[in-house]
Amino acid sequence: MSAPKPPAGHFNILYFASASSHTGKDMEALPAPLPLRKLFDTLEERYQGIRETVLDHSLVTINLSYVDMPSSEDEDVVIQEGDEVAIIPPVSSG
Amino acid sequence: MATKQPTQNDECPQAPAQAEVQAQQQPQPQSSSSSSSSSSSSDPTEISEPNIYVALTHDHLNYQTTIDRVRSPEAGAIVVFAGTTRNNFNSLPVKHLSYTSYAPLALGTMLTICRSILVKHGLKGIAMVHRLGVVPIGEESILIAVSSPHRQAAWRAGEEALEECKAKVEVWKREEFAGEGGGVWRANRDGAVGVRVDEPKIGDGEGDKKEESNK
Repeated sequence: MSAPKPPAGHFNILYFASASSHTGKDMEALPAPLPLRKLFDTLEERYQGIRETVLDHSLVTINLSYVDMPSSEDEDVVIQEGDEVAIIPPVSSG
Repeated sequence: MATKQPTQNDECPQAPAQAEVQAQQQPQPQSSSSSSSSSSSSDPTEISEPNIYVALTHDHLNYQTTIDRVRSPEAGAIVVFAGTTRNNFNSLPVKHLSYTSYAPLALGTMLTICRSILVKHGLKGIAMVHRLGVVPIGEESILIAVSSPHRQAAWRAGEEALEECKAKVEVWKREEFAGEGGGVWRANRDGAVGVRVDEPKIGDGEGDKKEESNK
């Protein structure tokens, strides 16, 4: 399954492993633009408890590149329409 | 199926790394019997470049094919690592394991690891193939093959490749325990939880076996 193109004004967010279990979804489209620093708040509003159980242990990619959570507004990245964001829990390959 | 399989390059135009991902027909001749029901399950996803091959597949892993990908007249050693699925975790019987991945990202990470190790250890070739979907107990979930002029570098490179893979490659293992509802998302990283609510914390994974063919 590949991610379909998100609707206009949205970005795709992909959920893997524990993120998928917590949300009950593999992916969904969320409204864009969205400042990266608001991503976890947005997800916590939708999926109560996800921050503590999943997000605090996870990394984030935008268009297949890892991004750091901004520590201040000045260095914020904005998730744009059409972007592919993913929640990456600790891996267990091998 | 939770797996994101980039089976068509044009399905995810916003995903830049997919430009180098090739989706081809199954190249491993005798492996179709293990296909799961997903329509994409028989489409391996792979990247190859000189002396390097990385792939994700829903099919059985093939030793001979993997070894042949690193075979070189300049090599005096091929080391193969096979990770196999173990039937228990801390004595809890595991009845079922499955792997999912973020395929384009995982392949890119595998390629980065292989490029680095190829140079660092002066290898003649390196191949890394991870299986996805349900992997029956005792079967191979990963094969890593490396070739080098002399065996010492091959042993070291094989071990390092596996450790890097387990630390970084975006593949996730889910274990279902007999007699319990639900399953556990495993986490390789020490101290990481990485599992659903109410799931027990977990540690390292599969049984290992190694082979060396020294020529």
